[in-house]
This record gives sequence, structure tokens and C-alpha cells, in this order.
Amino acid sequence: MIVDVTEPADSVQRPPAEVRFADELARLRAADTAARPPGWHLSVQAARRFVVGDPALGVSQKFVGDPSLIDRALITLATSRGLMLVGEPGTAKSLLSELLAAAVSGDSTLTIQGGAATTEDQIRYSWNYALLVAEGPSTRSLVPAPLLRGMGEGRTVRFEEITRCPLEVQDCLLSPLSDRVLTIPELTGAEAMVFARDGFNIIATANTRDRGVNDMSSALKRRFNFETVFPIADLRTELALVTDEAAKLLRRSGVTAEPRRDVLEVLVTTFRELRTGETARGDSMDRLSAVMSTAEAVSVAHAVGLRGWFLRGEAGTAEDVVACLAGTAAKDSPEDLAKLRRYLAQQVTWRDGDQWQALHRARHLLPG
Amino acid sequence: MPVTFIGVRHHSPACARLVADTIDTLRPAYVLIEGPADFNPRLDELRLGHDLPVAIFSSYRDDDRRHASWAPLCDYSPEWTALTQAARVGAESRFIDLPAWHPAFAGRTNRYADAELRYADVMTRLCRSFGVDNVDALWDHLFEIAPTDDLPIRLNTYFDLVRGDADPGETDQARESYMASWVAAAEAAAGDRPVVVVTGGFHRPALVAAHNVSAIGDVVWPAVPAMPDGAIGGSFLVPYSFRRLDAFDGYQSGMPSPGYYQELWESGVDGAARHLVEAVATRLRERKQPVSTADLIAAHATADGLAAVRGHLRPGRTDVLDGLASALVNEALDVPLPWSSRGMLGAGSHPVVVEMVAALSGTRVGRLHPATPAPPLVHDLDAELARADLDGSADLDLDLTRQPDRRRSRVLHRVRLLGVPGFRRDSGPATGLEPVLRERWTLRPTAERLTAVIEAGAYGATLLDAAAAVLADRATQAGRDVDALATVLFDAAQAGITDISARTLSDIEASVGSAPDLGPLGRMLAVVLTMWRHGHLFDTTHSTTLGTVIAAAVRRVLWLAEGIRGGDAPADPGRIAALAACRDALHHAEHQLALDRPAALEVAARLAADDDVPPDLRGAAFGFRWALAPSDNGLPGDAGDRGRSEGTLDPVRAVRGAFVPRSAGDWLAGLFALAREEVLHHAEVVGLLDELMSGLSAEDFLVALPALRQAFEYFPPRERETIAGRVLARRGLGGTGRQLLRGGLDPAVVAAGMLLDDLVDAALRREGLIA
Repeated sequence: MIVDVTEPADSVQRPPAEVRFADELARLRAADTAARPPGWHLSVQAARRFVVGDPALGVSQKFVGDPSLIDRALITLATSRGLMLVGEPGTAKSLLSELLAAAVSGDSTLTIQGGAATTEDQIRYSWNYALLVAEGPSTRSLVPAPLLRGMGEGRTVRFEEITRCPLEVQDCLLSPLSDRVLTIPELTGAEAMVFARDGFNIIATANTRDRGVNDMSSALKRRFNFETVFPIADLRTELALVTDEAAKLLRRSGVTAEPRRDVLEVLVTTFRELRTGETARGDSMDRLSAVMSTAEAVSVAHAVGLRGWFLRGEAGTAEDVVACLAGTAAKDSPEDLAKLRRYLAQQVTWRDGDQWQALHRARHLLPG
Repeated sequence: MPVTFIGVRHHSPACARLVADTIDTLRPAYVLIEGPADFNPRLDELRLGHDLPVAIFSSYRDDDRRHASWAPLCDYSPEWTALTQAARVGAESRFIDLPAWHPAFAGRTNRYADAELRYADVMTRLCRSFGVDNVDALWDHLFEIAPTDDLPIRLNTYFDLVRGDADPGETDQARESYMASWVAAAEAAAGDRPVVVVTGGFHRPALVAAHNVSAIGDVVWPAVPAMPDGAIGGSFLVPYSFRRLDAFDGYQSGMPSPGYYQELWESGVDGAARHLVEAVATRLRERKQPVSTADLIAAHATADGLAAVRGHLRPGRTDVLDGLASALVNEALDVPLPWSSRGMLGAGSHPVVVEMVAALSGTRVGRLHPATPAPPLVHDLDAELARADLDGSADLDLDLTRQPDRRRSRVLHRVRLLGVPGFRRDSGPATGLEPVLRERWTLRPTAERLTAVIEAGAYGATLLDAAAAVLADRATQAGRDVDALATVLFDAAQAGITDISARTLSDIEASVGSAPDLGPLGRMLAVVLTMWRHGHLFDTTHSTTLGTVIAAAVRRVLWLAEGIRGGDAPADPGRIAALAACRDALHHAEHQLALDRPAALEVAARLAADDDVPPDLRGAAFGFRWALAPSDNGLPGDAGDRGRSEGTLDPVRAVRGAFVPRSAGDWLAGLFALAREEVLHHAEVVGLLDELMSGLSAEDFLVALPALRQAFEYFPPRERETIAGRVLARRGLGGTGRQLLRGGLDPAVVAAGMLLDDLVDAALRREGLIA
């Protein structure tokens, strides 16, 4: 189905950030007195408040993490280097890139999704072949892709999962980033060169698990400032986030029992330890190769709640955690399953708390 | 007359400047400073003209408590500027806080730590509302790089806010009421001249409140609390260093990055920023890391931009650091930037970040003026050496089995641990395992001895305490290196240091808990277990420290063992030995150390049954179970009770199942290492091995031979003889095992004979003469 863009936003599954937070952006813009970098919709300070929150203006906090990361990211966008957000999967890099684009350009939709099949056409421009054959190359037959539009209109371009593109495709960003110009050799005269307007820059994201699939050339690396986005640093914040999100999802699924905090604490701690490869006591372990992100923790918490409620009419227990972990943590990797089994057998018993002991007792529920 | 209270953050250049200016303007009669009151009679020692940083080191020891703490002073400490400025304007200065030995300081090693950090909730809320990462960034933002015009008002507001929410603990209250009594006395004594009070900002609101309700009375200077009877202790000046100042962490930490703030103090915000960039670039270039001019320009631009966004007139510490990190780090980081999380540099930090932190920290080392009374360690060391008759030139040959020699050896080892030149051990035991009972030492007094001892004076007041502190440092630094840890533990044993602080013990536990390899861990466990079991030589028998290490190592060995996978691999004697050490620990120390035998047996059962585990480890795990399985009447499977039920533990079945020619030798190596005795006394297993080996084809036998040889190496010659005897008896042949083992034939001849046999066999078979 084709979505009519004039439709009210609430019937769209997930409207872009500038639509979801249109009120907040408008308030920030109205209250914005600081100087704006050329081509920006907001000043750097206001853009920062949009992301880290400003209770005084009723702007919500949208990203959990160090505020200094946002500072550095915004300043990078105001300079002549692109911004590269790297990190483990599920650390909200894409959300951050969307928020930054919405704050800086008021538009987060100029997005290139990187993948093995991404070609230069999808990045720079392609042609309307019927017109091209009929009229020859002209601006009428030219179909601009996000990069060309971003440069011509002075807006932020997002490039998701850049390292999943082949190296030679990535390298078409070189001259737009360094010389700030894109040549269209098929056209002639002034139209053959598109110079970037103020406000143009690129936010790329790459996940560290794909490192080595397609590395980046050092020429391209040099044109980006790298910012690493880390998983949430402290247990309390992550636990609160998981509890909130899981409770929301469970309500939507018709579960009326609130998730149990002690069970979720066990769940989130388990996730954190398997993610970082270090237990609360300081023992080091092997990290799982599966992604143990906060987002995954939320989905496991959701599944735990569903199992508990629909199988037994209660909130979900440590046994459910074990049963659901197998699907998330182990996925199809026998090594991860073995690591998980070893963790449940040896790293759980020394802790206080009924739920930990229950988790240990339930270790036999792991398949295989 | 008015009393001016200045609430400061320790080691803050902005506060130091404020203190100096205030004293300069007010010209007070008294300057009261948060510092150990018992040091007051010796304040002149501080003004001798030292190269800072120095520290007032306090030690204390009674029957049940031992405590060492430092009050570090550097050029930009407000306490230091208060002292120097007071002297300049002719004011009397006094330290007004409780002595460091007082129970109010129990557990604190840094007097000038940030008190407010103990009230974390308030700080977290403040950081969030200012949108900064942590307290240090907040402090820079509000005070160090902000305009100075209304600094006192901002400082007071800040600390009132911090204090307002916090409920001060008992210890803080005790200190505050003591300090308040000094303020009252000074105010009375000053008459109509002003008094300036310089304390940590956290305490200021309480002192002001106490001052507001008190009336001016007579001049009664508070008494300095006397140490309890029987306790020993005191305070002395010792040289200090930026490295140590920056190494306090957790609740002991104060302002970080002394190198940066020293520069800020000397040359201002811009100078400090410039210096930081230069230092980082130089350090990186020295290490051949590329730092281009373009990078530096980008770093500069980013730092300026960040300063603007964050509302700083000039780029501060985190602005410069963030700018440098943005420009110089062009790959993903494994751990967060240390200045965003406020903590020690984590393992796996990016090399650029490591250099940046080193540049921040600075390398300055303090030196005491030669006229300073020597720290107590100097006297204690001299006395100890004299008592043991070790203060001259000598070549010693000590017999460690004799008590007097052992005492001398301990003193020498303690001196060696402090790095005092002129004491060299030429030979002696190097680990706890070998039977070396003599030590040789060469003693040559040198001129550098005194300097080295004065420097070491910062570690403790007595030779024993200082050596223990050095070892604690080394244990902390050992990280994941268990070999280094084993050395520390053995050094501790040799130096006769038995009580180790809880903190160090938990550091050691953490090192063991993160040890990456079984081999070194097993080696350490074996050494430590031996020391724990028969440490008569060094009095380490059943020591608590070693017990903790053993318990942690057993847990870790089991954990690591279960992580080894990957199927067929040649036997690794290291990991087999680790399991053997673990078996011994469970055997000898299960009850004293509360080791979890059932859990260990479970791990071994999983290992033994998992095909993905290398054969030697499977064999070792099986042997582990066999050796440790609960048995009610002697060794399981004695010839007499062969029918006895052993649950799942059936050696015959296990050996038969594991006997695959390719891996049999490796599996047996594991088994023999862990359950040698058990195998030897189980006639059926020996018989089975004979049967299985005879059944091997010549080719399979050659494949299996090297590993089999290795496996049987685990039996000492006498036991090999026993086995040989059993094999002979089983086959109904005469002779003794000894004769069989001493075949006397050249193996080459045997091999040639076997080859000939094979050829004949093959020829016969080809001709259809045998089936």
C-alpha cells in the first residue's frame, strides 16, 4: 500500500522523528536565541537540548548516554568532517542519527540504507530512463538520490550501516565530503557540478560486529570523526528502561500483570554480564557472539511476561527467563548455548536472591 | 570579628586562588585549615621549601586496627596556598581537623578526597540538570574555567546545594564539631581581627551553622585528642608524586589529572589547553602514532566549538580532550573515554586515549628539603638492620631452617621489596616448590640508600608496613597476570608479611577471577596450595590470604576448564596440571576453605561427557571425578569389590569408550595425571588397557604411540613396573615387571622386527594362506 503523506501521522506505524517530536522542535526553535551554524534549523545548543532533554521547555530526554557524546557529534556536524557513529548492534545508533538529523535539518528522511546490494545509483543519482532516451541527459531526466538532494538542499544525509556496502561504493562519498562537490559528468555546463550548500553533512552508522565484513578505506576514515556509542553504562538506568518498555509492550499484548522487578533485575544483569564478559564480582568470561543489547533484553522481558501470563496466569519467573534466553542469546550458535549453560551452572550460585537460585535450578531448561 | 568561611574543593586551582586572594585582602589574625591538628607544632616543616607535591603521611596501629593515610599537597592546593599566604601576611595558621588516626577517618586513605562523592544521588542529579557527564566536568564548568568574578557566591551555592540534600554521617559530624570548636577559639583569640577558615566545601555549611549559634566566649584552644594507650603512630612529611595523587579511586578520589591542573595554575586556561595538546601530540609522535597537522587543526576547531556549545569562554579540560579524541581516534573504541565515566583507565583503552590520560596525569615527583626530619621509616629501617646485624658490608649465607637466619632473611626481603639499593640476593628459593633451603646475599651500603628510603617512606612508617604496602601495590597492578601474582604471594611469604588488607585481598581475588589461561593459573594454584599446606619455612600454613587465593583459583580453574572446546587437540600438560592442582585443593582443603565439591564434580561430569572437549581434558575430568568421588570403603574398584556399584562412574566402560587410536593416548594422559593411584589399583582397568592395546593394528599403534608414551610418563618408574608386572601376570607369563621394562633391546631392532612381521603377514595374506 502506498502511504499518503498527507494522512494524519497517527496512522503511520512509525513516523520520522521530526513528525513525532514536531511540538518539541517548534518550541525549541521559538525559544532559540543562540547563533545557528549556516544552514541549520536550530542552534547547536538547542539541538543538544532536543536530544538530551530540557525539562523547562518540556523537551523529553530521548537518548540515554553521556551528554558529551552529543556535544561532540553536533560539533562534528558543524565542521567539515562527517560523523561516524559506531558501536555494538542495538545501542540506538540509528535512533541517534535520526534525532540529530531531525534537529539539525528538521528532516531525517534523506536516508541511505547500506547493504551488500547498495549501488552508487542509490546514493548519488540515477536516471529516468524513458526521459533519458527521449530527451537525453538533463536535470529533468535526472533522479536525485539522498546524497545529491542533501548537497543541493543543504541538509543532513544519513547513511545507515555503511560498512555493509562494498568498499568501492563507500568511496563515492570521498569527494562530496572533502571537496563538497558532486560531479554529474553526463550533464554539461553549470549543471554538471553540484556544490554542497551550507547545512550539508553526513551521519553514517556502522556496527562493530560487521568490522571486517567490509572495512573502510583509510581515505574515507580520515573524512569522518568517529564516535563510539556504548551500551547503557549503569544497571539502574538500564533496568528502569527495560522495565518501562517491557511493561508498555505487555500492556499492549493484553497482559495485566506487571513484570516482577526481581526477575527483571536478574534478566538485565545476565544480559549485561554476557555482553561485557565480566561478572558483578569481577570474573571475566567469554562474551557471547549474539547481540545482548538493551533492545534484546526488552524483547526477552516481553516474552517472559507473555509466557508467565498466558501459560500460568502470573508475571513470569526465572524459569521463563531461561527458556526465553535460549532463543535470544543462543540463537543458532551451539557455542553461545554452551557459554550460556556454563554461565548458568557456574556464575549464578554465588549470588544472593531467590531469583538467582531459581535461575540456577532452571538451567536444565536450556535445549540440547 | 567576622569569620570568613571558604568552602573549597581540595586540589582546585580556582579555590587556591580564591583562598590566596581572600587572605591577602583580609590580612586575618588566624587562618584555620582542614588538616591534621596533631601536626600543628610542626607546621614549620612544611615551609622549608620542598618541591611539591609532598604529603603528610599518618600511620596508626593498635591491637585491632591498622591505618595509613595521606594528605597530599601540591602547588595549587587551597590548603597549601592558605599556609603560604598566611605566612606572607603574618597570620597564624592552624590545622583544625581530627588527627588521621582518629576513628572518624577509618578506611580513608586520602584525607583530601571529595567528601561529597559519598552522597552520590545529589551529584547525579546535579550532573543531569547541567547536562554534563560527571562531577569533574561539572566542576570545571562551574568553577575552573568560568569567570572568577562571583566565585565565592557560586561556590557557596554549589556546596549548600550538595550539602542541603545529604544526611552527613557520624564521622563527618564528629569532624565538623571538632573543627567548629577551633573556629570558636580562634574567633575569641583574634579579638577584632578577621579569621579565615579554609575547609572542604561539604563541611562549610555545617561550620557556618555552628558558628551562627555560638557566642564568643573565652579563648579555649581545643585539645588534640590523644592516641589510645598502646597504640603507635604519627604524622610525617613524605615526598609524593602526581602519579600517586591521580591513582586514588572510588571514595578516595579527589580532583583528577594533576598534570593538567598544575599547568592551569601556572599558565591559565589557555596555557593549560595548549600544553595539553602539545603534550599529547608529542607523546603520540614519540610512539610513532600519526598525528597530522590537519588532525591538530580539527582538534582545535572541535575544542573551540565544544567550548562554545557548553558555554565556556575558553576550552577546558574535557573540551580539549573531546576535541582530540574526535580528531585522533578514527575507529571504534572498546571502552568508553575515561574522562566521561570518571574512573581509572580501563583495560583495552585506545592507545591514543592512554597517552592522553598520561599527559593529563603528569610525571612530576616531589622532593623534600634536606632539612626535613626523615620519615619514620628511615629510623625503623636503620634500627631493624642494626638489630639483625645487617647494616654493614657483608656476604651472607643463610640457612632458612634456622630461626635466627630466617629472621634476618625476612628483614632483607622487606628491604629488597622497597627497592633500596645495596641489598642483592644472589641465590635462594624462587618458588615455593623447590627444596632450596639456603640463601646468599651480598650487602654493600651505598650513598643512595637514604634517598631511596626517604622515598619509600611514603609507603609506611615501619619496614613491615612499607613492604606490605609495596606488595599491595604490586598485587593491584598484577591485573590478569597470575604469574606476577604468584611472585607477589611468594615475596610476601619470604618477607613474612601475613596480614594483607581486605582491599588487597579483593584485588587479588579479582586478578584470579579474570585470569585468562589455565596453565599459569594451575601453576600458581599448585604453588599456593603447597605454601598453604606445608609453609613451615615461611609460616604460611593455613594462612587466610592463601586460603582466599586457593578458593578463587579453584573456582576459576573450573570455569576456564569448561570453556575449552574444539575437539581433537594434542594433550596440553598445563591444563591437565591445573585440574590436578584443583583436585589437590579439593582433597586437602575442601572443608577448611568451604570449597564446593559437588559443583566441581558436576563440572567434571559435564566435561568428561562432552565430545567437543579435547580428549586430554575429558580424560582428566574423568580422572578428577574418579579421584574425588565419594567412596565409602577405600579406593573405588579395588580388586576385591569390583562388583560395587559406582553410579555413573564406571572406569572400565569409560576407558573402553574413549579408546580411539587417534586420541587414546591424550585421553589416558589426562586420566593418569588425575587418577594415577586409582588406575594403578584397579586391576581390571590395567587388564583392559592391555587388551585394547593388543587389539590395535600395527598402523594404529604407531599413530597412538607418541601420545601413549606421554601418558605413561605420568607413572613413576616403580609404578610402571607394577603395571608391567600385572600385565605379565594377566598373560600368565613369568618374570618380573622390571625385566620387561628393561628389555635391553634396541628399539630400532624391535621396530625392524615388527616391520618384518608385518611384511610376512601381508605376504601370507596376499597368497591366501591366512585369513
